[in-house]
Amino acid sequence: MNDFITLKILDRFAGLFRLLSVDYRAMRLILSFKLTMDKRRVPTIMQGDKQKENPMLSAFVKSLLLYAFYGLFLIPFLVIGDNYLFQMSIVFAIIMFILMTSMISDFSAVLLDVRDKAILDTKPVTARTISVAKFVHVVIYMTQLTGAFLLIPFLIGSAVNGVRFSILFFFTIIFVSLFIIVLTALFYMFILRFFDGERLRDIINYIQIFLSVGIIVGYQVLVRTFEFVDYSFTLDFYWWHYLLPPMWFSGSFEWLLLGNSETYIVIFSLLALFIPIFSIVLYIYLVPTFERNLQKLLANSKAKKPKRARVQQWIARIATASVEEESMFRFASKMLRNERDFKLKVYPSLGLSLVFPFIMIFSMRVPDQTPNYTYSYLFAYFVVLMIPTVVHMLKYSNKYKGAWLYRILPVQDQMLFYRATLKAFLIQIFLPITLLIGVIFSVIAGFDQVIHFIVITLTGWLFTIVCYRLLNNQRYPFASNFSFAQSANSAYMFLTMFLVGFLAFLHFLIQLIPYGIYGFVIILIVINIFTWKKILPKKV
Amino acid sequence: MSQEKVLQITDLSISFTGKVVLDKINLEVYRGQIIGYIGPNGAGKSTTVKIILGLLDRYRGKVEVFGEDIRNKGNAYKKRIGYVPENGEIYDDLTAFEYISFTGQMYGMEPEDIKNKLIRLLEKFDMAESLHKRVSTFSKGMKQKLLIISSLIHDPDLIFFDEPLSGLDANSVMIIKEMMTILAAEGKTIFYSSHIMDVVEKISNRIILLADGNVVADGTFDQLKEKNKEGTLEQIFNQLTGFDQHEQIAADIVAALHGDESNE
Repeated sequence: MNDFITLKILDRFAGLFRLLSVDYRAMRLILSFKLTMDKRRVPTIMQGDKQKENPMLSAFVKSLLLYAFYGLFLIPFLVIGDNYLFQMSIVFAIIMFILMTSMISDFSAVLLDVRDKAILDTKPVTARTISVAKFVHVVIYMTQLTGAFLLIPFLIGSAVNGVRFSILFFFTIIFVSLFIIVLTALFYMFILRFFDGERLRDIINYIQIFLSVGIIVGYQVLVRTFEFVDYSFTLDFYWWHYLLPPMWFSGSFEWLLLGNSETYIVIFSLLALFIPIFSIVLYIYLVPTFERNLQKLLANSKAKKPKRARVQQWIARIATASVEEESMFRFASKMLRNERDFKLKVYPSLGLSLVFPFIMIFSMRVPDQTPNYTYSYLFAYFVVLMIPTVVHMLKYSNKYKGAWLYRILPVQDQMLFYRATLKAFLIQIFLPITLLIGVIFSVIAGFDQVIHFIVITLTGWLFTIVCYRLLNNQRYPFASNFSFAQSANSAYMFLTMFLVGFLAFLHFLIQLIPYGIYGFVIILIVINIFTWKKILPKKV
Repeated sequence: MSQEKVLQITDLSISFTGKVVLDKINLEVYRGQIIGYIGPNGAGKSTTVKIILGLLDRYRGKVEVFGEDIRNKGNAYKKRIGYVPENGEIYDDLTAFEYISFTGQMYGMEPEDIKNKLIRLLEKFDMAESLHKRVSTFSKGMKQKLLIISSLIHDPDLIFFDEPLSGLDANSVMIIKEMMTILAAEGKTIFYSSHIMDVVEKISNRIILLADGNVVADGTFDQLKEKNKEGTLEQIFNQLTGFDQHEQIAADIVAALHGDESNE
């Protein structure tokens, strides 16, 4: 409990904390337990009586390794050329994006822990000690994250650019990190000032999704732009550049290392120094208000006015065969849209499957040639590729214990639960995405694409039921705990991916035969009906 | 029983976003009392307790605990207070041992001392084998017992129990009730909030009824009975909170279940 290296390091600064009139003993105690809880945060239920802890491969360490990997992408910008204003702006933009989003997504649970109020505030410690403990906790996390993310780029950048660069880079990193911590906290304060806790959780959820998609798409785009970037690029200064924090920090490199003392460069550097300091002062000043607003997280949110969704009701009616199934369809649609953990695990891959076909198209373009889109519809199989992940996730829910409900219902046809859930997924998620891609592709490449998208849709329907049989094959959806979700059978996952490849290839072969594609549509419809009836039969 | 004043509340008011929750409350609480603190949902019971514990600071009026104003006294007075929160907030990623070590040390106890006490207590609560298990695996009753232990481990003089019996089985309920009586006889003061009137009626030697942010009744059960000419605390509660339609509402509910036309 007391053997954290971090705490041992912290002990050396005990005097400093006492100077801030913080009860160091209490703060250390709080931190030691908070760190213990962090170590255990990820798999909550998997430990019962046995307590296995694998410190080497905890989820947190894994995530640090991932950040270290992302950090490698910074290296090119640090070593090529010495147009610091431009290069370092990109570097700091990436750093700030990664730190800010991961701060919000990974650490919000800690920052916004409402139990703290009832547990810590009732103990004989001062409010100051508690808020300093919280801040130090965040700083510890941030140090680990920044360390993992920036250590390698820092060493390489220093080796290439020399000692002065290294010192400056080191201090700017510290300033950027502090700035990000405070900015995140101010962001929470702002949201909580105007919205309630439910809304905040929604926003955090969307930021997490955005982060997952943003990182992958961002790197795709970055890699593509490499070719166009000219490193002798000079910046035309506009006043709104003052509003871009990455430019402040890169300005200090331009000024102190290259001796470029144009007025705006000097102002950038001063902003880089004073804005973080100012924001910390503001933060300290606002903390009490923040703590008070945190109460809102506990409060019940205002009831939403139910939206009248005639279209939704109509869809639910025609998609299902009985009142029970219709009701399950609506329930599943709500779950797909409202359960945050589900969204977090599924929406990033949905976002990717939506974006990837276009990335592929644009990256396949050859300059100075009229693009040929004849076979680009095959990229839309990326959407089919995400089906196994989603179908697999339909098993899980955060509130899986609510599944007792299925068992007590007087429903004869037990297969309708999954039938309705799969239909809800296909109609509410799969169809809109395919439709969107199909429309855009048809506009780009001509309307003869439509038939191919009909094939892809039908393939998706067929593939969904096959995935259900392979991956789920159980009675009730949303009935298992998310903590077990990691253990997806990777062999089956691989098999399903192979199947997608096969289906795409089949599609390609058949359209080579004149009018074969139309026959294929009919065959797919027949197979679909047959397979759905076979795997999820109606029992009366 | 000595008449040492443990808690004095003078003109305590608080409002949230314009809504008055407590409206000039006055209370004096003496050593050794078990106070049944009751009232309808939203009457301000938990809010009062939160103010005394220093969880809310935007109140008007004066709160004195152990003879000193909590506004300018710092947090040391919390050392002598124990608290079972209403929503059962607990760090459930920790084991029972770790959690109690944490709270105990926060109250300034020595680790060795905490461990010895906890082992004895868990044994008495029939949870000896749970010492090193994670709280997240506990049943509701076990969690509640742990919260009670956590609130008492530092031997406080003033104890706030907010629905402390929820989730406990009948036998444990009897133990806790008896324990409260012994603690009060020793001179501890217990502030007991609950919606279960039978229990409040039996264990409290003083009952305070809060409604719409005002104290509407304060006295022993016998005094309340005399004043209101009703037989049980439940009936007194209904009368004082101006609620006398339970029969009509129940009948309406049943009618609605049957799909009958409303007879309102």
